[in-house]
Amino acid sequence: MALFNIIVFPGILFLVIAGLWFEFVDRRMYARMQHRQGPPWFQPLADFIKLLAKETIIPEDANRFLFTAMPVMALTATISAFFYIPLWSPRALFSFPGDAVVVMYLLTIPTLTFFLAGWYSTSLYSMIGAVRSLTQLFAYEIPLFMAVLAPAMLANTWSLAGIAAYYTAHPLMALLNVPAFCVAMVTLLGKLEKVPFDIPEAETEIVAGAFTEYSGRHLALFRLAVDIEVVVAGSLIVAMFLPFGLALPWYLGIIVYLLKITLVVALIAILRTIMARLRIEQMVNFCWKILAPVALAQLLLNLVVKGFLKP
Amino acid sequence: MGLIQKIVTWARIKSPWVIHFNTGACNACDIEVIAALTPRFDLERFGVQLKGSPRHADVMVVSGPVTRQSRDRLKRVYDQLAEPKFVVAVGTCACSGGVFQGCYNVEGGIDMAIPVNAYIPGCAARPEAIIDGVVKLLSSLDPKPAALPAPVAEPVEKVDVPA
Repeated sequence: MALFNIIVFPGILFLVIAGLWFEFVDRRMYARMQHRQGPPWFQPLADFIKLLAKETIIPEDANRFLFTAMPVMALTATISAFFYIPLWSPRALFSFPGDAVVVMYLLTIPTLTFFLAGWYSTSLYSMIGAVRSLTQLFAYEIPLFMAVLAPAMLANTWSLAGIAAYYTAHPLMALLNVPAFCVAMVTLLGKLEKVPFDIPEAETEIVAGAFTEYSGRHLALFRLAVDIEVVVAGSLIVAMFLPFGLALPWYLGIIVYLLKITLVVALIAILRTIMARLRIEQMVNFCWKILAPVALAQLLLNLVVKGFLKP
Repeated sequence: MGLIQKIVTWARIKSPWVIHFNTGACNACDIEVIAALTPRFDLERFGVQLKGSPRHADVMVVSGPVTRQSRDRLKRVYDQLAEPKFVVAVGTCACSGGVFQGCYNVEGGIDMAIPVNAYIPGCAARPEAIIDGVVKLLSSLDPKPAALPAPVAEPVEKVDVPA
């Protein structure tokens, strides 16, 4: 059963299919909003297979071990974060008090692997991309943590399953967290390095950022890790801020869950269509001067509400 | 051909990522290449994506005659591409050197420096011609060539021009 959980569901196979599917959904929506037809449904799969079959080049000066280990690390961290997130019932596969914090840290690891991968490729472009992704990490990580922990504080538990159970019992309380949801959505764009926060891989300035030297199957694994990160981070946001329909029977629950993830992907695609890339210092300013105070205000609000509720 | 090989060939045909390199063109062909990548022609239908890094690309789209200055750079970028790689020469200058043939600073067409898989003549080559050339190059990968798309334009009737 454990092997089934790791390999098929909700492990590698499910996440690979979901990641590739939602990459297609994102690219298709982007194309339709630009009045074009867009790629066929198998496009992410074809890209993945093609990259697997391509020659893999490792630069001579690069650190061979880190260069090859980083894509695997990124993939592993995102997949293992998924086991703790409740999907369509208030229960997660594994759960312990405090797993919300662990999931947040596991989702930070891909960004760190981007940094190490770019740094040890010893190419100028990838180094600039690596440093930018770390700078960006310092900007979005604090508001994201505060925003995600606000609903946890209201539910008085640090476990994702406990949060889901609390909001299933008190569904109206989830409405309090709308500002935190907005902050989390915006900072999620920074975490996933999507427009307008795709500064680390700005292809018009620094070729492809940290991935400049990556080719073949290493690049395929990195792209897959990013795709899966969209699904996992989306599931986390959904479990935290949209905990509706968790009490439904499982077949309806799956549909509601997939619709909620599609909503998150659609928001990302819409923002990608209507926004241009910011500069790095605009992004840092925005995160610290606007998002962080909003998240802090949300925390205060939740504290006050909690004080009134619990005599 | 084994099943895996078939799948790989299918994926290669469906997902050509291109990188664009200018070896000294007058920028007319470059504008046409960029035009071919705009939403009007929607090359993402065929899986074409423009990539910045040569490490990610499969097809190198080269425009312009090879000048002595750019020859070494062209070779270096070509070597940075991962196998299997294809080169498409866009425009008359890239095919043969064009009007710059014989200039003191021009080597000639792209094939003087690196092997070329497809030639797209034209001054400047139209976006439709570029798309047609790339599609023909990709369908040449398939051992059983699928039926080529029907020509869009009607064949022009010959008109007797009075002398």
